[in-house]
Amino acid sequence: MGLLSSILLAPFTGPWSGTMWTLDKVQRSVEEQLIDDTPIKEDLMNLQLALEVGDIDDDEYVRREAEIMQRLREVRDWRERLGKGNAGGPVRVAREREDESE
Amino acid sequence: MTEQQMPFGTDASDGSDASDAVADDDAGGKYVYCIIRHDRVRDFGPVGIGGGRRVYTVHHDDLAAVVSDTPIVIYDPTRENVLAHEFVNETVMREFTVIPMSFGTVFRSEDDVSELLRSTYRAFTDVLDKMQDKIEFGLKVLWDREKVVAKIEQENDEIRRLKDEITRNAASSTYFARMQLGRLVEGAMEEAGNRYVTDIHDALKSVAVASRSNKVIGDRMITNAAFLVDRSREKEFDDVVRDISRKYEDVLTFKYTGPWPPYNFVNIKLKLERAN
Repeated sequence: MGLLSSILLAPFTGPWSGTMWTLDKVQRSVEEQLIDDTPIKEDLMNLQLALEVGDIDDDEYVRREAEIMQRLREVRDWRERLGKGNAGGPVRVAREREDESE
Repeated sequence: MTEQQMPFGTDASDGSDASDAVADDDAGGKYVYCIIRHDRVRDFGPVGIGGGRRVYTVHHDDLAAVVSDTPIVIYDPTRENVLAHEFVNETVMREFTVIPMSFGTVFRSEDDVSELLRSTYRAFTDVLDKMQDKIEFGLKVLWDREKVVAKIEQENDEIRRLKDEITRNAASSTYFARMQLGRLVEGAMEEAGNRYVTDIHDALKSVAVASRSNKVIGDRMITNAAFLVDRSREKEFDDVVRDISRKYEDVLTFKYTGPWPPYNFVNIKLKLERAN
């Protein structure tokens, strides 16, 4: 909604646009959680450590690793759906040549 | 298109050209493990990711990428896959100085790999020179909280006295005395942790070329470090690790790993984009 129409319609749209804004914010924070794989990677590192120090056995590791991989795949699906791109897909060198690398 | 930090992850695309690129069943893609300096074709045997695929080299001038054929897929970082990636790098490392690629880096064709070598030639060459004959070791140190607390109680008079007092007058000892004890112990633990970490790092710094502290994992770890070591001083470094772990064996557990390729000491920004 443009600034002008906001001003013009302010008394009427005030509360409504406020609600919209809140919903939008909630929506965005839900999306951020859906596409953030940082906590999942942390869980994976914790799991590896637990196996290394002998807190869990191999069977437990395999079972929990499968759960974590499932969560990673879900995040990847959401990233695809929301157009965010994924780590680990096929890549090629970017075609722009002016600053190749450092 | 985006900058890739190597070897920390192929973070390709920021939505600008993000269409689906996951499924393709032919094995025309190339999984890249590492970059070495070598000008002849080399076969490292059937040890690649995805069930023992042949690992070989793709060339540009005197640089080579160590690759295996792969379908265009995203590899899950399962233990099996990560170990396959590691195994190849360890094998190559026995003979070459390597620049490790991050796990899961897949190029669509051999031409794309040659293009990577061509366009990043100078950066790769510089880093290969710097990393010549250097290897990485990982050291994670965990403490046993209860043992550290016991040790602190033994050594710290004030804490011991306060604790005795609380135990003797269990009924009458105040909430505040307990609070005070808790605070004192916590402070002493933090101090002890810092002292251990400093001592360990100081001992190892003298035999390493460089070191780096990573984020600790879980609540028992007090340091998660990587050390870059000259191959000629590997034995020396081993000895220092053994000595220092012995010094603290009553309270600390050392998880010592390596040699690794220099994952924590190579930081080349690759400009990669998603291949559609």
